[in-house]
Amino acid sequence: MNDQGSESLTPVLQVVGLRKSYGDHLALDGVDLEVHAREVVAVLGPSGSGKSTLVRCIDQLESVQGGAMYLDGELLGYERHRDGIRPLTDADVQRQRRRMGMVFQQFNLFPHWTVLRNITEAPIKVHGVSPAEAKERAMELLLRVGLADKADAHPRQLSGGQQQRVAIARAVATRPRILLFDEPTSSLDPELVDEVLQVMKDLAESGMTMIVVTHELEFARHVADRCVFMADGQVIEDRPSAEFFDRPESTRLRTFLTRTSAAPAGGLV
Amino acid sequence: MTDLTTQPVRNPFADRTVDVANARRRIHPWRVAVGILLALVTVQIVLFLVTNERFEWPVVAEYLFNPTVLMGLAVSLMLTAVGMVLGSLLGTGLAAGQLSDFAPLRWACIIFVGVFRGVPPLVQLIFWYNLAYLLPRLAVGVPFGPELFSWPTNDLITPLTAAIIGLSLHEAAYMAEIIRAGILSVDSGQRDAAAAMGFSRWHSFSRVVLPQAMRVIIPPTGSQVIALMKGTSLVSVIAMGDLLHSVQVIYNRTYEVVPMLIVAVIWYLVVVTALTIVQRRVERHFSRGMSRTAVARRTVERAEASA
Repeated sequence: MNDQGSESLTPVLQVVGLRKSYGDHLALDGVDLEVHAREVVAVLGPSGSGKSTLVRCIDQLESVQGGAMYLDGELLGYERHRDGIRPLTDADVQRQRRRMGMVFQQFNLFPHWTVLRNITEAPIKVHGVSPAEAKERAMELLLRVGLADKADAHPRQLSGGQQQRVAIARAVATRPRILLFDEPTSSLDPELVDEVLQVMKDLAESGMTMIVVTHELEFARHVADRCVFMADGQVIEDRPSAEFFDRPESTRLRTFLTRTSAAPAGGLV
Repeated sequence: MTDLTTQPVRNPFADRTVDVANARRRIHPWRVAVGILLALVTVQIVLFLVTNERFEWPVVAEYLFNPTVLMGLAVSLMLTAVGMVLGSLLGTGLAAGQLSDFAPLRWACIIFVGVFRGVPPLVQLIFWYNLAYLLPRLAVGVPFGPELFSWPTNDLITPLTAAIIGLSLHEAAYMAEIIRAGILSVDSGQRDAAAAMGFSRWHSFSRVVLPQAMRVIIPPTGSQVIALMKGTSLVSVIAMGDLLHSVQVIYNRTYEVVPMLIVAVIWYLVVVTALTIVQRRVERHFSRGMSRTAVARRTVERAEASA
């Protein structure tokens, strides 16, 4: 989409030695991760492994205690100052967040607004897109996620799967450089999971750069280019999807894969 | 025990003679007793009101629409409105400050709320009215530096300004607590989503969090309006011409204390009843909004289940 020439050089997102602690507990313990343009990276791991914390830190919803993150080569959350670095202003953090999109486990749609306003608010109020243009793009996106007839509905009138598809349309509406998914299907009823995964697969095929924290092994195997396995706040394995599933190196990943795939599909929470 | 008429009906299958639609009304002895008692008390009160000539009902009727009284009523309503508007604005700021992650601001707001909620409003009114004792002149200037403007405090602190300051600050402290509870009732995911979309803090607060907090904020705010309306009677002690003060002015001249107090009571009851009706309406409006979405959701689920 954008500058095709430089995309192989600078990763869209680079995470270097990231550390995050809650009191004494180390949630992230030196995490390294690189995501290149048009790449889809699935992050897997047992609960408490720090995978949700990782995407929340990337979107700067959580403070971090060490390491660094770069979006298109730009340091996230901090700026150079004299001979060191210092935190950015709120306004600069907001500017950086505007280049990313986030999809939450609990959808977090704004319940007092219609579906359409949920999608158009950020383009109009934050990105300065004209209302007519924002509405046109929102309708286009709603068509893509199969909810064109729900533009005037309120989120509470939709099923969980429909809400999450709206949330994806909302995140895509601002044309982010990278889309972060924080367990997007984990709070859905089993029969609603597939409609959301299908929308995510379409997005991946359209060339969106994505990090997907998920428990859906099938999705990770067939849609993601790379899979990352996390445990105890560390990245244990980071390999192309086929290798990841067919030839896991660590015993921890082997145990995780056998235990998780033994569970019935959709029954993993 | 042997009385057959009080035995439970044992065999309803025998025939179709038993039909609960024909049941007699049961008599509840305690309800009868309480009902009689209430009726006696009511009669007693009415007799007291009607036969006790010291109420001087003709005087009440004469002064009910007296211009001085109506003027006092208008002042009370004005103080309620001004106190509520200023109190809500300041209270919103205090609520946001109490939830700030900048500790000095948070503590300043917590202490402000603690002090102005803790000191009785009557004491605050007298205190503001006597501000000139502490500060003979009020000045605008650089702290510890030169003064730009200054005024004698007694020119600025009239009964009106003292009443507005006292009532507004007291109201702000209460509204801060109500609004804070409302803000905390909004799911933290809403703030996450607003932040993730790049909304500014103000945009997130004013467009996402506050509108959703309203459901929790509105009902207790209605009670606050009513409490403030009654609270305006306190300003009579600093000679502010509210409803109570206006009847006091009259009875100081005519010595008809009780009839004039009855005039004030009637007006307070009229206004408070009107405000209560409005509050009920507003509350019902909000709860109806809730149930309507619940109904809509059920309809959607049913439609999907049948599809």
